[in-house]
Amino acid sequence: MDWELKRSATRLVGEPRGRVDETTWEAFSQALTGAVREAAAAGGLPLIVDLSGLDYMSSRGLRALTMAKREAGETVPITLAAPNDRMREILAISRYDKLFNVTDAVEPET
Amino acid sequence: MRVRFWGTRGSLPVAQKAGAIQAKIARALVAASGQAFADEAQAAAFAQANLDFATYGAYGGATSCVEIEGADDAYFVCDMGSGLREFGIDAFRRCAAGHPRVFHIFLSHLHWDHIMGFPFFGPAFDPGATIVFHTGHPDAEEALRRQQEEISFPVPFDWLKARMSFKVHRVAAPFEVAGVTVTLIQQHHSHESFGYQFVRDGRSVIYSTDSEHKLDNMESEAAFEAFFADADLVICDTMYSLGDTVSLKQDWGHSSNIVAVDLCHAAGAKRLALFHHEPTYADEDIQRMHAETVRYEELVRADRPELEVICAYDGLEVEV
Repeated sequence: MDWELKRSATRLVGEPRGRVDETTWEAFSQALTGAVREAAAAGGLPLIVDLSGLDYMSSRGLRALTMAKREAGETVPITLAAPNDRMREILAISRYDKLFNVTDAVEPET
Repeated sequence: MRVRFWGTRGSLPVAQKAGAIQAKIARALVAASGQAFADEAQAAAFAQANLDFATYGAYGGATSCVEIEGADDAYFVCDMGSGLREFGIDAFRRCAAGHPRVFHIFLSHLHWDHIMGFPFFGPAFDPGATIVFHTGHPDAEEALRRQQEEISFPVPFDWLKARMSFKVHRVAAPFEVAGVTVTLIQQHHSHESFGYQFVRDGRSVIYSTDSEHKLDNMESEAAFEAFFADADLVICDTMYSLGDTVSLKQDWGHSSNIVAVDLCHAAGAKRLALFHHEPTYADEDIQRMHAETVRYEELVRADRPELEVICAYDGLEVEV
């Protein structure tokens, strides 16, 4: 799993690549939590997790998303963007599509 | 070994209402439209071949009770939910045919849905029967006595005629019972629960119900992966969706279908039985959960061998 974080004046976009499973979830969780803290320190910028480069995420990764959301609280809105078909199914089966805002693409900055 | 499910529902026994049966009949009639059957056997064969399980069958509504056949001259039973009553009736039939009247009962924990069948367990009234309760809870006997106090039940515990004893076991300390090696693991649940590993002749069955795998303690799952390692069958608490377990139903003491798949994948287990079904679920809901779990296993399998995912129902028998 690789992770890249892009920051602009209006938002942060985290880009995980590869897969998040029992061997990579801790690195993913650490990167995600770091991004949430950075977004909060910047005054509450929204965090978009761009899933387009992610092959899939197992329950460990999904639960890392929940931990990040708890860290974010009301301060940092988190959006899951551009999941591939496999991730979209996983989000539906886990019912995480009911817990997170999921968008088809990373929306252009306004 | 052979595993026989006598009760697979979580928390509370449930029964189908007329509306659910009528819906099954209506769906079956529509599916059989235009067909002609010479007799009921032909109709049954058509139904079995063409209808889904939620239409042709039923998952049942008795609470946790699982028999593991294969010990030397003794019955092995995990938990005493309401399914225990029917097991007891069947055990009388088998005892009449010569099966020794020895029962080893392995208790995951003492919540009501896991012990409620015991006051109705016929062999407990048999003076020729021996019942050994295996538990991780020192207060197991107190729990059984208390549910038969007069305020709750007309027959006190002391009136039971079987020869009964309680054995409290430590976790991670394997012991032998009737030719089977048994090991306990502690699980996260209110008042704690214990999972069991049964090993005989190189085959293993795991019984792990009422076990919450906490969001903030995922590191502890390595212990469960080791406990499930290479198991031939893992019977796992899959009561809720993952989304439920991290939101509304957090700290309710239960796990999800997809965490069960992930644990079994990491453990290299061969077969997973979905168990402890949510009592508010209709048969269609459980069937959908099963299909989703099979699909999830495909989606995250990667280069691992396939994990077979089956869905436990009252009456299911599985060869191990």
